[in-house]
Amino acid sequence: MIEKGKISSFQMALIMYAVVVATAILYIPFITAQQAKRDLWLSPLWAALSGFLIVLIITKLYKLYPKKTLVEYSELILGRTFGKIIGFIFLFFLLYDTAIAFREYGEFVESAFLHKTPIVVVTGGIALTCAFAVHGGIEVLGRSATVFLPIVLVLYVMIYLFLIPDLNVKNIFPIMEDGWIPSVKGSLAPHAWLSQFSLLSFLLPLLSDETKAMKWSILSVIVSVLTMVYINLGNIFLFGGIITNTQFPVFQAARYISIGSFFEHVESIVIAVWVLGGFVQLSAFFYMLVLGTSQWLKLPSYKPIILPFGFLIILFSIWSASSFQEMIHSMGTTTPFYFISIQLLIPMLLLCVAVFRKKLRQAK
Amino acid sequence: MMDFFRRRKNKYISLVLLLCLIILLLAGCWDRTEVNDLAIILATGVDISKNKEIELSVQVFIPKPAEGGQQGGVSSGSTSSQTLVRSAEGVTIADAMSRLQEKLTRRIFWGQNEVLIIGEKLAKKGIGDQIDFWMGHTDPRERADVFVSMDSAKEVLESMPELERDAAKQLSKLVDSQIGVKVTVKDLSEMLTGDSSAAVIPWVAKMSPSNLEVNEGKNIPFIKGSAVLKGDKMVGRLSDKESRGILWPRNEMKSGIITISLKDEKGFVSLNLLRSHNQLIPKISNGNWSIMVKTDTDLEVIQNTTNLNLLNLKSSKKVKRMVVQEIEERERLTLSKARKKMNADIFGFAGAFHRDYPGTWKRKKNEWSEIFRKVDVTFDTKVNIRRTGLSNEKAKKGGGE
Repeated sequence: MIEKGKISSFQMALIMYAVVVATAILYIPFITAQQAKRDLWLSPLWAALSGFLIVLIITKLYKLYPKKTLVEYSELILGRTFGKIIGFIFLFFLLYDTAIAFREYGEFVESAFLHKTPIVVVTGGIALTCAFAVHGGIEVLGRSATVFLPIVLVLYVMIYLFLIPDLNVKNIFPIMEDGWIPSVKGSLAPHAWLSQFSLLSFLLPLLSDETKAMKWSILSVIVSVLTMVYINLGNIFLFGGIITNTQFPVFQAARYISIGSFFEHVESIVIAVWVLGGFVQLSAFFYMLVLGTSQWLKLPSYKPIILPFGFLIILFSIWSASSFQEMIHSMGTTTPFYFISIQLLIPMLLLCVAVFRKKLRQAK
Repeated sequence: MMDFFRRRKNKYISLVLLLCLIILLLAGCWDRTEVNDLAIILATGVDISKNKEIELSVQVFIPKPAEGGQQGGVSSGSTSSQTLVRSAEGVTIADAMSRLQEKLTRRIFWGQNEVLIIGEKLAKKGIGDQIDFWMGHTDPRERADVFVSMDSAKEVLESMPELERDAAKQLSKLVDSQIGVKVTVKDLSEMLTGDSSAAVIPWVAKMSPSNLEVNEGKNIPFIKGSAVLKGDKMVGRLSDKESRGILWPRNEMKSGIITISLKDEKGFVSLNLLRSHNQLIPKISNGNWSIMVKTDTDLEVIQNTTNLNLLNLKSSKKVKRMVVQEIEERERLTLSKARKKMNADIFGFAGAFHRDYPGTWKRKKNEWSEIFRKVDVTFDTKVNIRRTGLSNEKAKKGGGE
C-alpha cells in the first residue's frame, strides 16, 4: 500500500461531502434554475438516485476486492490491458474533474473579488496550499475536514437564517407547474455532482472502521442532497422569479444580508469561510488523482508526482474552458453526460464483469 | 550519525529557500486600494438629460476628520457639507459611469451605495435597462433602496436635510420606518419580471426647511406616496393615503395609526397597528375571476376623544366595525385607482392566481390586463382591539354611557 495513514468513516463522509458540495452550492442553483425554474429545489432530490446508486456499486465492488481502489481492481477484473485502459480513462477523467473544480474555484473568486488578478495566480495559490496538504497524506486531509467542515456547514445554514425577514415562502408555488419534467431536466447538473461519489473508491481502502463505511457514505449522500435542497430553497425564497438570471445566488444572498443596519456587507466573511470548504474539496481531488496515478503506474510513493500533477491540473483548468460563459454552458449541457458516463458506467461495467466472473468461478 | 546531520542540513537549506520565497509575497500589494483612493458613493441618481442621454449623478462621501476643538460647540454641521455631488452623461449607465470617473480623482466605489433615485422623466420612459445594470454589475448592492423623484434625481442628491447627514441617509431612514413602501433593487427586479409586471416605488417630493433664513433654497427630500410602474414605465402616482391602502393586500403593513369617527358620537378614536396579516384568496369558477382580500389585524387604542367607554363590549364592537370599514375603504380607494387609471396590478393578484390556478393561468396569461379590470374583489377584514390604553376615565367631565 502506498498510503500508510488511516481515516475514520466519519472523516471519509466529511471529505466526500466537501468534494460534492463545496462548488455545488455555487453553481448548481443557477444551472438548475435554467431548466427547472421555481422547481429547482426538487432537482437535487432526483439526483440523489445517482448518489445512492454509485455508493451501492462502489461498496459492492469494494466487498469483492477488499483493500483495493478502482484503478487496482479494474486490472484484476478486466485483465491487464483492458484494466489499464479503463484505469487510464478514469484517471484522465479525474484529472479533468479536478481541473474543473480548480477552475470553478478560480472563476468564483475572480468574479466575486479579484477581478483583475490573473486566474492562474488564484488557482496556483490554492494548488500550492493543497499540494502541502496532499503531501501530508490522508490523515492530514481527514483532520482538516473535521476541523473546517463544521464551520462551513454552519455558515451555509446561517446565510439563509440571517435572511429570514426577506424570505418569501410563496415564491415556490405553484409546485411542478409544468409537471415533473423540468425538475428532472434541471437535475442534470446535480446528477453530475453527486456522481462524484465514485471517488469513494479511493478512500474506502484507507478506512480504520470499514464496517461503518456504508452507513456513513449513504449519510454523506443524504446530507449533500439536503444541503443542495436547502440552498436552492433559500434562493427561490429570496430571489423568486429572478433566480434564473442570478449567477452566484449564494454570494448575492450573502450580500443581501442586513440586520439592524450594522450586520451587513458580510460577503467577505462568507467567502473566507467558503474557501475552507473549497480547500478540503480541492485537496481531496488532488490527493485521489495522485494516489490513483501512482497506483496505476505502480510507483512506490505518490509524493514525487504531487508537484508535476499540480502543474498539470493548473494547465488543464485553463484548457478546460475558454471563458466563464463557456464553462457554465458546458456544465448545463455536455459535462454532466461526461461525468455520469465515466463515473456511473465504468463502475457498473466493472461490477457486472466481476459478478459474472465470480459466478463463473463458482460454477467451475 | 552523519546521515542525521546531513538531513538536518538539508532541512536548514530548504527552510532558508522557503523564507526567500516569502519575499515574493511583498509584491502582493500591487493593486491595493486604500480608503483615500476611493470615491465612496452613498447615493446615486439617474436622470434623462436634455440631450436625451442618461445622466448619472452620484453623491460622494468626503472623508474628513471630525472637526476637533469644537466639542460642545454649536453644531455647524449643516453648512459644511460632508458630501459632494457630481454627474456625467452617457448613452448608458456604464458609459456615463466612465465619464464620471474622468471627473473624479478617486476610483468610484459602489460598495456603500444604499440609495438609487430615478428621475420621473426617466421613469416614464422605462427603467428596465437601469435596473438590469444594477443587478448585473458586481459592485453595486442589490439591497439599495429605490426611489422615484419628482424633481431631477440630481436635485434630490444636492438637497440638504436638517436632521440627517445627507440626502441618502434621509431617504433610507424614511423607508426603514416602514410606514410606506420599501423597495430594494432586488425587489423591483422581482416585481417587474413577475406575473403582474407592475411595481410601486416610493415617491420623493421636497419640503421646505424649517429655518428659512439659514437654509434658503435648500429643500429637504421626503417621501410622499408612491409611483406606480407598469412594465418598466411609470404610469401614475398614488397619494400618501392610497399608498397605505396598497400595503394591506401586499401584507407589508407594519405600523401605522388609524383614526376613525363614529356616526352617532362626537370625537375620534385613534388606534395603533400592532400586527397585521393579509392573504389573497383567488377563486375562478365558471370563468369568473374573483379574489378575496383577507385581513387579520391587531390594534390598540391610543386615543379616544369620544364619550364611549371602550371596555364596554358593545361600544368596542361599534369601533371595530368602523375600523373594518375604514380599512376596506382605503383598500378600495387604491384598488379603483390602480384599475381605472393605471390598469396596473400592483397588489400581486396575478401571482395569487398563478399559484392557485397554474393551468388556467397559463392559458389566460396574455389576457391578464383585461381580466384584471374585471376581477371581482371582496374584502374580509377581521379586527381585534387588544388593549385600550392605561386609563379609561376621561379628564373632562360629562358624558359616559
